[in-house]
Amino acid sequence: MTAVPPEPPPPADEPPGLPQPRAGAPLPDEVPRASWRSLRNLEVRAALLLILMAVLMAGSVLYLLWARGAFETTQALYLTTDDSDGVVVGMDMSFSGFPIGRVSRIELAEGATVRIQVDVPVKDAHWLRSSSVFTLEKGLVGAARLRAFTGLLDDPPLPPGAERAVLRGDVSAEIPKMVADARDVLQNLNRLTSAQSELALTMAQVRGFAERLNSAKGGLMAAITGGEGDGRRIGELLENAQQLMRNLNSATARVDGMVKRADQQLLGREGLVGDAQAAVRQLDGLLRDARQTLVKVDAVLTEVQGVAGNAREATDHLGDLRADVEASLRKVDALISEISGKWPFAPTEKEVKLP
Amino acid sequence: MAAMTHGFSLYDWLTNIGRGAVRWAIGWWMVLFIGAQLAVLAFSPSSYRREAQGVVLRQIYQAAGPGLPGFTSLMALFNVVVIRIVVVTAFAYGLPRYGLDAVIRVLVLELIPLVAALFVAVDYSIPGGTQVYKLRRDGGFERLRRQGIDPLSHEMLPRVLGGIFAVLLLALVSCVISLVLAYIAIHGFTWAGLASYNHAVGNIFDPVVSMIFCMKTLAFAVAVALLPVATALRDLPRRGSGASVELQGLVQMFVLMLTIEVASLIGNYY
Repeated sequence: MTAVPPEPPPPADEPPGLPQPRAGAPLPDEVPRASWRSLRNLEVRAALLLILMAVLMAGSVLYLLWARGAFETTQALYLTTDDSDGVVVGMDMSFSGFPIGRVSRIELAEGATVRIQVDVPVKDAHWLRSSSVFTLEKGLVGAARLRAFTGLLDDPPLPPGAERAVLRGDVSAEIPKMVADARDVLQNLNRLTSAQSELALTMAQVRGFAERLNSAKGGLMAAITGGEGDGRRIGELLENAQQLMRNLNSATARVDGMVKRADQQLLGREGLVGDAQAAVRQLDGLLRDARQTLVKVDAVLTEVQGVAGNAREATDHLGDLRADVEASLRKVDALISEISGKWPFAPTEKEVKLP
Repeated sequence: MAAMTHGFSLYDWLTNIGRGAVRWAIGWWMVLFIGAQLAVLAFSPSSYRREAQGVVLRQIYQAAGPGLPGFTSLMALFNVVVIRIVVVTAFAYGLPRYGLDAVIRVLVLELIPLVAALFVAVDYSIPGGTQVYKLRRDGGFERLRRQGIDPLSHEMLPRVLGGIFAVLLLALVSCVISLVLAYIAIHGFTWAGLASYNHAVGNIFDPVVSMIFCMKTLAFAVAVALLPVATALRDLPRRGSGASVELQGLVQMFVLMLTIEVASLIGNYY
């Protein structure tokens, strides 16, 4: 304790100092005559502050341990992927937006794959099934997100220590492709908007067309056909068409009168339709007579059918008779052949001489 | 004046720089040495005998007790304003997940320990250092030694312990209040968001961040409590600016706190 330097001499010009402290222990020989009770009261307050400090500190430590899941029983889940970019120890694994696990370890495994150990509290492990799918998504903004999806909650639960592959979805990896596509689009746009492009030529032609349209030389028709006199001819054509329409109107009026007259002749009191109705009635009577005649003819035909049946039977008998006659004729023919082979009707020379 | 009269002298300039560096090194060595002595005393049971124990307890109360309600109220008001700004901005940008993260990292991890240390420095440590300086200048230390009392254990150790305790207590109380206010600002007066809130707080306070936070707060407390008292035991040279000894000690303390803050930021975010 001898390291304390000796007291310096009092300075002649004292620098501007800070205000006098309200705190500080007075010298023993300068102790104010405070009562023992007040000192004791002060010490009790200090002890209370110490107790408050200890309680707050212990409470904070316990709260942080509890908030970090130090008092929860967990089961391990191992996720494998080919790239651990964005995965950090302590990040959450969420299920339907709720954190149900925390990455506790990342390591390189065999086959150059990354093995991520996720500690899942046992009370939340029932959300993970054997068919669950795990994804690692990395957006443009924010950290990577580890998510779990379970489609079938009836599947058997995921066993402790299970190992699953992670499906990666990296938006930033799509950026180079998007940039290349955007460059192509911009190049196409430049080609479209260049002075020699088809679009520019088309626009120039449209502009020429609009200029012709706005000019006083023929207006729209001249712009369409390209001839200045076409507009005048179109006007004459329109006048002719108007005259034609007038003629058509008069012709229509005449046709209308003709139709009225034809209507009277057809549908009038002495019209063609009345005569036709009478003729139809007469035709109906004629048909009725024809039907009676046909009934009679039908009876005659029935009788003729019976006669034809009898004729068919007679024809059958005639067939049998003809067969008998043919058999008799074949016998006579055989008899004649036999007689002609015998002498004196037999030929003398039986040899055939060839030339 | 010599340099102005005879022109620029490289030798004098280098000599002055060398002397300044040596003084700077000796000054910091003194601070470290006194700090080591006080640490030994702090861990010695003899420093907490009946009489000394009362002195320490009284200093602890005088350091933390009177300023606790005012500081806590002001910090709560400040917390409400900052939390509201950060949370509303985060919601406006569609990033509500990061609102709580920003609030805790900005307020609890960075601002509250710094403000608590500065408050204790201005309210207690620097005036205490001035008092010790004047006591030493007036021969009070020699009188104490004649009475068989060690000035370090009787005058300085209680002030340093009181300053350390005050910084820790004020920071801890304000951090707890800030966490409660952040929950209310985000979720309102309901218990519905407690699970997600606890999870988010647990995610932020991982072991590394928690360790850096504790070490930083403790370093702030030691710097604020020790530097003014240690400076009071040194004979600082007068500078051309005419700054007082207390002010030079204050500048040293700010430099040290800035260094601690930068180191903690590097540890947290790099």
